[in-house]
Amino acid sequence: MADLIVQDVVKRFGRVTALDGMSFEVREGEFYCLLGPSSAGKTTMLRAISGLEQLDGGRILFGGRDMAAAPIQGRGIAMIFQTFALYPHLTVRGNFTYPLERAGLPAQEIRTRVGEVAELLRVGHTLDRLPSTLSGGEQQRVAIGRALVRRPQLLLLDEPLTNLDAKLRHDTRAEFKRLHRELGMTMLYATPDQLEALTMGQRVGVMQAGRVVQVDTPRNLYAAPQDTYVAGMVGSPAINLVPGRIQRRDGAFAVDLPFGTLPADAWRIHLSGGEPVLFGVRPHDVLLGHHPARGPAFTATVHLTEPLGDVTLLDLDVNGAAMKMALPEERALGIGPGMPIEVTLSAADVHLFHAETGVRIA
Amino acid sequence: MASSAVVAHEIRSEGGFLAWLLAPQRRGPLLVAPALIVLFLMNIFPLLWSFGLSFYNYSAKKRDVPDFVGLRFFERVITDPTVWERFKTTAIIVSSSVLAQLVIGFLLALLFSKQFPLRRILLMLVLTPMMLSLVAVGVFFKLFYEPTFGLVSQAVAMFTGDRFALLGTPTGAIIGVVIADAWMWSPFVMLLVLAGLVSVPKYLYEAAEIDRASAWRRFQTITFPYIKSLLLLAVLFRTIETFKLFDVVYILTEGGPGSATETIGVYVYRLAFQYFRTSQSAALAYIILFVVIVLTSLYLYAVNRRAQEVD
Repeated sequence: MADLIVQDVVKRFGRVTALDGMSFEVREGEFYCLLGPSSAGKTTMLRAISGLEQLDGGRILFGGRDMAAAPIQGRGIAMIFQTFALYPHLTVRGNFTYPLERAGLPAQEIRTRVGEVAELLRVGHTLDRLPSTLSGGEQQRVAIGRALVRRPQLLLLDEPLTNLDAKLRHDTRAEFKRLHRELGMTMLYATPDQLEALTMGQRVGVMQAGRVVQVDTPRNLYAAPQDTYVAGMVGSPAINLVPGRIQRRDGAFAVDLPFGTLPADAWRIHLSGGEPVLFGVRPHDVLLGHHPARGPAFTATVHLTEPLGDVTLLDLDVNGAAMKMALPEERALGIGPGMPIEVTLSAADVHLFHAETGVRIA
Repeated sequence: MASSAVVAHEIRSEGGFLAWLLAPQRRGPLLVAPALIVLFLMNIFPLLWSFGLSFYNYSAKKRDVPDFVGLRFFERVITDPTVWERFKTTAIIVSSSVLAQLVIGFLLALLFSKQFPLRRILLMLVLTPMMLSLVAVGVFFKLFYEPTFGLVSQAVAMFTGDRFALLGTPTGAIIGVVIADAWMWSPFVMLLVLAGLVSVPKYLYEAAEIDRASAWRRFQTITFPYIKSLLLLAVLFRTIETFKLFDVVYILTEGGPGSATETIGVYVYRLAFQYFRTSQSAALAYIILFVVIVLTSLYLYAVNRRAQEVD
């Protein structure tokens, strides 16, 4: 019932087009993430769904009902803001009961619901305090509680982790997954952080300049990004893109790269030969040493090492092409700047994109 | 260069009053001294002197040597039914004027918290009365209310055919004074409230909208808490100021008709400079000062609380 369907939505602010024919669908009970950089229109999209923004085109259907005419209050939608937007002059309890005031519920029911939410989010001890006296994490949980207390059919989350520190973000990611599992509610989550989108979303819609460019599960987005934009948005550290050209030799296709040649026969049905391409390989798919079974090996010079704890990033110069690789920390021991090393590109995990359009070749 | 340094050194070592006076450590105090002297002669000395006078029997018109009478004039002032009458008049004018300023200032602030065409120009116009001198405002309104050719009288005459003297009746005179004072000071209240309104984060209203709160609830739980302390400041500040109301009343009505608009400020003036009961007026002035000090402490307390809230 609670399917959310967004069709060709357009929203302009003066001469700026924030949403430019945005379309996507969220299934009932789904945890759906909108992933995009900060000006892609994520917040505008959520605000349009909640009713805070009027549409300039397209329509939004929720549970089969066109939302354009529905008043904000009647939409059965709750929203968690990036700033939390707690009412500073009301206690935590006051914040919880606020959305219930108009519902005409008996006092007993309100008490029960506040108790439930407080327990679910472990903020029972703060009920009589003002939001300003709470820690960031507690404020966040109160904001979630205020959204949940109404038992909305759809929960919109607008970058709710941006204002938290790294440790709390990690904990709260787990918290959101737990809430989604326990409450089974439809959740639409906007974030600029690919890690949040990939870890929490059942499906992720990648946004670019006011539209959704690719929708898929996190695994598929990572394995088969449809263009260089999505490839760059998903995965950290970002994918290596090296310019190359397709060559046809003895009936077989290969990619000519600054540092050598890579067989490209797997993509032969899409190729004609001679076209310039962008060759993409994720830092995790650059392997240390010689692995004939996985793919061809090249010699590279180490520029810089960035130890991140469990993983070490290496900035490589592969015959003039800059590339990053990620190594488990213990394997990077003894590798330092200036050293020549041998790397293998895992042929099964490389990507080819058209150089001009950035679209995936296969 | 070297020789001038030597000369300077000689002057200093030779001493002399001027050199002593211009020594570096004395320059700061020296520069402040003229202002301090003027302040003492024009403010502090008269203040203390008049305080002293309030314990003596003295009139500025007579050349008698003042005799010490202790608290007699304070007693006389406090037991004087006229004083209480004037206090009552002042209270009526203060409370109606401050109330009017609050309501008008608040509504103006609500209006100007929104964006609309010509907002900046209108805002400047609305703020103008506050910048005018009290005397100018008094004269303006005296001309407005003037029964023969004043605007108010002519406007009323269009409907009734009769000229209209607003200041002719006791109630009318009070209303006239209140209108003038409120016209002048509502913009001040508006500025304070406006500052509070723009400090309310917009996302709170959006959250409240999604939370289905009614307009009244939004005002009560979001807007009002943000402007509450500023409203209190406005009330106190305007009460203190209006309590001392003199100029506008004196120019508009001179306290009349009868003594209908004779505020405590006007009464002190009469005691001191028309009846020349210098000591008695000094005693009354000090009682007023005391009231104002009490109000001011309340005001400062409110300011501090506001500062803490903002932190």
